Amino acid sequence: MTEVVRFENVGLRYGLGPEVLQDITFGLEAGSFHFLIGPSGAGKSSLLRLMYLAHRQTRGIISLFGQDTTSLPREKLPNIRRRIGVMFQDFRLLPHLSAFDNVALPLRVAGVRESEIKRHVEELLVWVALEDHMDVRPPTMSGGQQQRVAIARAVISRPKILYADEPTGNVDSRIAARLMHLFEELNKLGTTVVIATHNESIVNEFGRPVLRIDAGRLKTIPHEGTQGKSKESKLKIISNLLNQGEAS
Amino acid sequence: MRFNRTNLALEKDDTNRFLPWLIAFMALLAALSIAGLLMLKQISNVFEHNSQDTMTVQIPAGESPEVDEQNTIKAITALKKAEGVMTTTRVSNGEIRKLLQPWLGETAGSEAIPLPQIIDVKIDRASDLTAKRLTNLLTTIMPGTTVDDHSLWLTNLVDTLQSAELIALGIVFLITLATVGTVVFTTRTGMGIHRQTIEVLHFVGAHDEFIARQFAARAFIVGFQGGVGGILLAAPVLYAFEYVLKNLESGLLPKADLNSSIWIGVSSVVPVVAIIAMMTARSTVIKTLKKIV
Repeated sequence: MTEVVRFENVGLRYGLGPEVLQDITFGLEAGSFHFLIGPSGAGKSSLLRLMYLAHRQTRGIISLFGQDTTSLPREKLPNIRRRIGVMFQDFRLLPHLSAFDNVALPLRVAGVRESEIKRHVEELLVWVALEDHMDVRPPTMSGGQQQRVAIARAVISRPKILYADEPTGNVDSRIAARLMHLFEELNKLGTTVVIATHNESIVNEFGRPVLRIDAGRLKTIPHEGTQGKSKESKLKIISNLLNQGEAS
Repeated sequence: MRFNRTNLALEKDDTNRFLPWLIAFMALLAALSIAGLLMLKQISNVFEHNSQDTMTVQIPAGESPEVDEQNTIKAITALKKAEGVMTTTRVSNGEIRKLLQPWLGETAGSEAIPLPQIIDVKIDRASDLTAKRLTNLLTTIMPGTTVDDHSLWLTNLVDTLQSAELIALGIVFLITLATVGTVVFTTRTGMGIHRQTIEVLHFVGAHDEFIARQFAARAFIVGFQGGVGGILLAAPVLYAFEYVLKNLESGLLPKADLNSSIWIGVSSVVPVVAIIAMMTARSTVIKTLKKIV
């Protein structure tokens, strides 16, 4: 399998501060599914920011899709970013745009024709059960609806990698389960998925390989050994989560 | 709303509310400076082209109109024979009275006042004809005749007018700098306000040019609005100025009015301001984004 992400002795510091990430080395294979876990302040978000090119590392090498991004000129970065979908903890939807326009954003940025945008966005909004909310703006939507808009935006351009930062952090367990199901579906379609979370119960129950980060250092290097729990096991987990959500 | 392409709601920014007024004020100043510059140019052109090659011969008033007539004919005959004289034009008594009116008032129209005879002489500057030589020639025929070479005082006057033109040009340049500075400041403020949106656009793969285009388009609209506002404010001021100029006593200055070339010059402020605002916003965004990953 080819690696879509490769970190070699990567370090990161903000300004003149201490190194928040130290000697990070790992690789993610195409089509893999990983959880990124660690206590608050451990460096999960910083690591994710490096992975979706929001920051440049202060040392080491980061390769994405086989390309060394360290020396890549600035104008080449958007083409790599277009192959990455990011779902933020706070969704980062544009409040002045409708759900439709938020989801359409990556396609418009890429210069896709409006007729195609309309077809793809409507299809995706139906998939996330928001077909009746296309013209609604995020501030008037519930948290769960906003989250679905955010995930639709993250996947509209069919990214090769999907990063989600604490996707289950602000939602009840029913929505969390539904969301995890969506991520699994995307992963089945070949998308490499990385989910940063502090919810260790989901991590344990889903049994996917883990990147554990603590005090800026990677403690667990991902491996494929725990990957691929049985379908029945996954359905049981989702069912449990749904029941928890209904009970609450 | 479904196909709204404006990803940054820039039109809702507070900075964009006051920016058109600032630009309108600068466009007003620019329009007035340009109008002043072009009018000064008109005046200096009249001085330069109509009077640089002329001398004025003044023959003192004689005992009677008949004597004046004879003296003038003698002078014109002598002038026509002189080397370097191209044409001679006799200034009529009516014109002389009109020229004297600003100084003498209604008295200038009185027949009782003896008037000197005036001849405008167009000369070839390439020849070695000077006012002194012409004076020597004419005083042998009619003592007391004087010759005034306009080039002597006109050179100083044209220099002064050209200095004033340079000052007007300098003011236009300073206004341009102030406009650029204002647009840079408001664009940076706008980028600060929309930082999160810009980040999102970056994450979804937007090139810097895509983001810069949105700021540039907004700056163009604001610049255009401000420019039109400035011209609308400048128009009554310019009309009032033209009214004052038209009512100045004739003879003091050559005619200068708000002709079509001045209005074209003043109107050009609108697209120029809009384009300057657009280009400044674009380059500010590109430069600022380069500091972000």
